[in-house]
Amino acid sequence: MLEATGISVKVGHFLLNKVSLAVKKSHCHVILGPTGSGKTLLLESLMGLRKPDTGRVLIDGVDSTGLPIERRRLSYVPQDLALFPHLTVRDNIIYGPRVSGTRNDTNVDELVSSLGIEHILNRATHNLSGGERQRVALARALASECSYLLLDEPLSSLHESLRKELWFLLKDLLKRYGLSILMVTHDLEEAFFLGDFISVMIDGRIRQEGNKGDIYNRPDDLEVARFLGIRNLFQGELTEITGNVLTVFSDELGASVRASAMTCSNHSRPDFEVDAKVVLGVRSENMEILRRDHTAKASYNKIGGVIETILDKAASFLVTVRPHCFSACQRTLEAELPNHVFHDLRLEKGRNVTVFLHEEKVFVIPYESRR
Amino acid sequence: MSFRALCIVFSFMTFFLYVVLVGSLFYFLDRTVFVERLLSERALFSIQLSILAASVATLISVIVAVPSAFALSRFAFPGRGIVDTMLELPMIVSPAALGAMILIFFNNPVGEWIQTNWQQFVFTVYGIILAQFVTTCGIATRLIKAAMDEIPVRYEAVARSLGATPAKAFLTITLPMSKRGILAASILTWAKALGEFGATMTVAGSMAMNTETLPIAIFMRLSTADIEGTVALILILISIGITLLYAVRLLTRNTHYA
Repeated sequence: MLEATGISVKVGHFLLNKVSLAVKKSHCHVILGPTGSGKTLLLESLMGLRKPDTGRVLIDGVDSTGLPIERRRLSYVPQDLALFPHLTVRDNIIYGPRVSGTRNDTNVDELVSSLGIEHILNRATHNLSGGERQRVALARALASECSYLLLDEPLSSLHESLRKELWFLLKDLLKRYGLSILMVTHDLEEAFFLGDFISVMIDGRIRQEGNKGDIYNRPDDLEVARFLGIRNLFQGELTEITGNVLTVFSDELGASVRASAMTCSNHSRPDFEVDAKVVLGVRSENMEILRRDHTAKASYNKIGGVIETILDKAASFLVTVRPHCFSACQRTLEAELPNHVFHDLRLEKGRNVTVFLHEEKVFVIPYESRR
Repeated sequence: MSFRALCIVFSFMTFFLYVVLVGSLFYFLDRTVFVERLLSERALFSIQLSILAASVATLISVIVAVPSAFALSRFAFPGRGIVDTMLELPMIVSPAALGAMILIFFNNPVGEWIQTNWQQFVFTVYGIILAQFVTTCGIATRLIKAAMDEIPVRYEAVARSLGATPAKAFLTITLPMSKRGILAASILTWAKALGEFGATMTVAGSMAMNTETLPIAIFMRLSTADIEGTVALILILISIGITLLYAVRLLTRNTHYA
């Protein structure tokens, strides 16, 4: 296991603040965060490129905080890949085994074959396409047979289709070689596709960590929720706690909404009390706009409103609904509907609709976390 | 006149300044005298001595400059700022003053001991090499450092993550990647050493067929009003210099690392 315990590094005004994480063997651990959140700084600290002010780095249980880079056995693929321009593809790939005296041609041949780069081995690196460069960088990192692979947004510069092709390749390599990967990215889709475990980093701190389902459905605080692209976030007051169900009245929605306690953040789950100020949220893709004959649905979590805008996103439609309130509501609800659902409902601007919030899809965050 | 045109006019003004100076040499160029002077024993000795001394001085400068430049480019260490500043000493102190400093050094007890027990520098070929080394070493370091600064540290970081020691990463990654920069710096250093006059004259003197380098020979010819001879030697020096500078341009183009 690759562990960081309480790593702090100050660079200028930026502080990487007591970061702890653990990368399990044969897992892909993703550090997900916006640009400038300190992800690369953390990787550099784990690598030994930066000396942490406090904290320790443990590699397979051994304190490696003071070890030089070459003795940590952590392969590193930086954002720009840093392929050695004066070496051919083959020499790039065998660089690690050659300098450490562990060259094994059979392993290298197998690796090259599994990455599909046999035909470019004698080429210079500046003659490679974007996808070929990524494959060569991965082959070079894997050929050194290090214990852990550290990837610093290595796919960020590629276009969509190539990026997705390499996601599948990485998934395949993960399974085939039982790789242990620590990857940083700001791309939500990439993180949820590749990550077995995700740590969300914002402003130099790990704000939440868990499996992808936890992170996706149960953000711990407002900043994490916003970073994850959740726009339906409404202030409210906890009015009732019944068993596993919380009821929140939101002025911003002009309605009471029930949420299953299971969907409240479990990482820093507070002891909610009645009358506590909270924020409730729901992903736009988890909102449902009901048919006019929606009698089968529960009688709660239904919010009436009028369609304000409809945005065609080609693969789906984003519909904003302004709730009917006693006083004019300042906020709108956003619902993302697949094309066939949108067309089936025959929605149009200005039409009165009822939005249904699934109890188990609504999450509740303490108000204190709102900044 | 547009700003672009104005800038281009200025660049051509500089160009014409040198073209006029070089062109004026041809006014005094006598082909027979040129060949005669060029093939004279004294001129050939000056050319040989200049090439030999500049080559040795350059070699020593580059050997010292490469590790120094790497240290200044990559490491933070106490006194780095002072070392970096001192590299510019040959640029701010005139060559004659540098030569005088070398002479003064050899007149203090340590210098005298070196001259008596190890090697005589003053008024010898070794003095020429030393003078050229002193005037070019700082410049060579500065040029090589600039080449190494262009190479992102990430390359060494990746090499080390793959198992290379710092020395191996330097020898297998940084050094080959800065090869063209080092070569270009070597050529510029060589050209600077070849044209060095002030320090060489002060330390080694101007003894014909002994310490007379090309620039000193030019000075000696001019001081005896041998204009044709002076022109011949200047044209030789210019030919060598222009050829080298063009080689530098060819070597340094298209070198860029992300």
